[in-house]
Amino acid sequence: MRRIIILLLLLGVMQLISLVAPYGGAGRSLLVFGFLILAAYSVGELAKQLHLPKIVGYLAAGMVFGPSALNVVRAEAVSNLAPVSDLAIALIAFLAGAELEWGELRRRGLALLRLTGTELAVTFLTIFAVLVLMREWVPFLAGLNWTTVLTFSALFASIAIVHSPAVTMALLTETGARGPLARTTLGVVLLADVVVVIVFSSMLTLARVLVPSGTGGVGSIASVAWEIGGAIPIGAALGLVVALYLRFVRAELFLFAILVTFFGLEISRLLHVETLLMLIVTGFVAETLAPGRMGEALRRAMERSAAPVFVVFFALAGAKVDVSLLLQVWPLVIPIALARLAGIWSGVRLGTRWARIRPEEGRLVWMGLVSQAGVAIGLVTVAGNAYPAAGGDMRTMLLSLIAVNETMGAILFRRALLKAGEVHGGNAKAPEQALAEPEPAPG
Amino acid sequence: MNTALLLVVLVAVAYGAAHIAFQWLGRRLLIVSGAEYLLLGILLGPSVSGLVSAESLRSFLPFMTLALGWMGAMVGMRLYLPGMVRLRGVFYRVAFAQSMITLIGVTAASLIMFRGLFGVTADYALVPSLVLGAIATCSAQDAVQFIIARLGRSSVVVRQMEVAVGMDSVIGIITVGVVLCFNHVAAPTLPRSPTPVEWMVISGALGVIGGMLFHLFLGEERDPDRLFISLGGAIVFMTGAATFLQLSPILPGMLMGVILVNTSRNRQEIEDALHRVERPLYFVLLLCGGALWTPGRSAWLIPVVGFLVARWFFKVAGARIAARLNGMLPVLGANWGRALLGQGGIALAIGFNYLSENNAYFPNIVFTAAVASVLLTDAFSARLMRHAVDASPWKRASGETAVVAAAGPTDPGLPVDSVEQA
Repeated sequence: MRRIIILLLLLGVMQLISLVAPYGGAGRSLLVFGFLILAAYSVGELAKQLHLPKIVGYLAAGMVFGPSALNVVRAEAVSNLAPVSDLAIALIAFLAGAELEWGELRRRGLALLRLTGTELAVTFLTIFAVLVLMREWVPFLAGLNWTTVLTFSALFASIAIVHSPAVTMALLTETGARGPLARTTLGVVLLADVVVVIVFSSMLTLARVLVPSGTGGVGSIASVAWEIGGAIPIGAALGLVVALYLRFVRAELFLFAILVTFFGLEISRLLHVETLLMLIVTGFVAETLAPGRMGEALRRAMERSAAPVFVVFFALAGAKVDVSLLLQVWPLVIPIALARLAGIWSGVRLGTRWARIRPEEGRLVWMGLVSQAGVAIGLVTVAGNAYPAAGGDMRTMLLSLIAVNETMGAILFRRALLKAGEVHGGNAKAPEQALAEPEPAPG
Repeated sequence: MNTALLLVVLVAVAYGAAHIAFQWLGRRLLIVSGAEYLLLGILLGPSVSGLVSAESLRSFLPFMTLALGWMGAMVGMRLYLPGMVRLRGVFYRVAFAQSMITLIGVTAASLIMFRGLFGVTADYALVPSLVLGAIATCSAQDAVQFIIARLGRSSVVVRQMEVAVGMDSVIGIITVGVVLCFNHVAAPTLPRSPTPVEWMVISGALGVIGGMLFHLFLGEERDPDRLFISLGGAIVFMTGAATFLQLSPILPGMLMGVILVNTSRNRQEIEDALHRVERPLYFVLLLCGGALWTPGRSAWLIPVVGFLVARWFFKVAGARIAARLNGMLPVLGANWGRALLGQGGIALAIGFNYLSENNAYFPNIVFTAAVASVLLTDAFSARLMRHAVDASPWKRASGETAVVAAAGPTDPGLPVDSVEQA
């Protein structure tokens, strides 16, 4: 409560400063950025007291102070802070890659691939079917011919099946969970990320052939193949450089972690390869090849910088949510969100059996796959650019769907981790630790 | 090969090479790491190779501005009053006198130089001269920490250097903070623009009220990650507020640090949280500061060389006069001021702060002077300090760097009976 009152005072200070300040510039962005960090942090702590994941609080703070509600953080400031979000995504991808272990991949790679494939296929078909059935009410499908309806539905479904490595990593960092559920969910999310990029790129290429939009040429198969295939050797090469640094220099790991993610981001842009995949590979190679415990030291350094990054990333994601738009389209979004949920649940059930994963291990995995965030928003932008006319409505619906899944997904995943009894480390207390703590003295 | 990719590879290789080289040099030759990043920035910047474009540099401006506030907070965190009052007053008198002599001397020399070289009025030349004076006052904090790590804090000479370096930072920061209030642009949004004194009050209030609010906000928080987030948010907010108001963010940052260190029970945790990104931000400031450097159109060589000479003269002479006035010359020696010749990061921060001002006079000359001084002195600052300690009469009398407490009140030639007050 004390923090909320101080936050309101700071809001007043901001208004006063805006009256006196001679010019805008970098100062305004920093001021807003600082306020957003403090606001997200305070609401995150409030969410924790309500037994909700902190990232729900960060998202809520972004929504409340963002352009669509109180407009303290204006749209201009949100776009100015876009590099921070990009850096956050790169850092998350590197961290996620570093969490993967070579031994585990060898042991469980095929099982994870089967589980991921089944889950994605079932979810895709479910969403696709629901959209086709609801075509008369969906704005970007109503009154169109069958080819267009099927094409747009497939494109929409290929984005709607995406999961969120960011939410997964944020929750794992927050709770410190490292058990079978956490590792299986992380494995599926990372694998799905690669598969979805391939599916989406292929679907977009096909869509442009079937429904020409007049906004540029068809993306060649070669360019898609390079985007995916090129990311692996380039990521591996960067990972090797990181491992060499860890072997010979071993200094300034915190600074080095930031530099690596920044450079990785730039390299992926310059070489037109998939950023997330590239940095996941970088993290994985660096962690695997690093001498002794240096890989772990780098990961710790990155985790230290990740905590504030998560706050900023999710607060900005919340600020981008258009609350008024969400209220307009919710009657359509809710059935699609429920269909997606059902698709994930049944897909995981089927996939778990096929992959012969123990039921107690796979039972709760579906709850970790609901969330959506940065990757999905990126794909929405690409689809919107490809189809400017229909893309506007598609974008609105997808962004609303992402907003719902982002919030709901985080809550569900935390519940799953609690149910599985994996919330021991991080900020959460182990049950035995909680029991061992003495009662506060009276008075 | 793509230029941007080349840049990425070059920076990565240069970073590694510079770090390895300076680690090695640092261990063997007492060279403090830092200046190499500045040099790297100059080589990569638009003025030399042009590999880093002006546009890319602009995207780093918020981080550089943040570094200013952060460095200010770090200086403020060192001003823990209960610890300071335990030290004998003579240390502060010597430190204050040498700081003021350097500030006044270099300001006067710069004023004469600007008027003589460019034929401008005193009003016009006073602001850049004062900023140069503030830059000249600052000394290398890293070097004194390096020396403390090697020799300990109990030696009189080392303790005097530590106090002098701290005092230099405080005087430099206050000077530039006040100068920017007097040189402030009018606020078009208000019916009457605030006067310089009112800007000074606003600048001080930002730091003091900010410090009090954030003291309450942080509370008893001790978790490193949560503390880091909230402290980071607080400094970003305060720095943004000061920059938005066209004030120096270093001064409010310092005041905020003073309030936090003196009111919080978790001051050690706060200091640790601040330390986490101090060096990365400092390196960003060095790299981007170097890249931002442009020689400028006006003749800069003579004023910069003049500044370097004036600083060297007034630092050494000022330190000698200050020690003589306070009866510390027999302990510190005539040339103890050489220990303070290392320039340090605060000087570069002040130079950058002035460079980013809207109505600054001769900003390129001032910034070039700061860059040149850091480049020439920073790497050798620890070595200069070590020499000053070794050459001090006190060291020669005791034979080795012994503790003053052990020397005792009857030790001849020592005007102080111990570092700390009874």
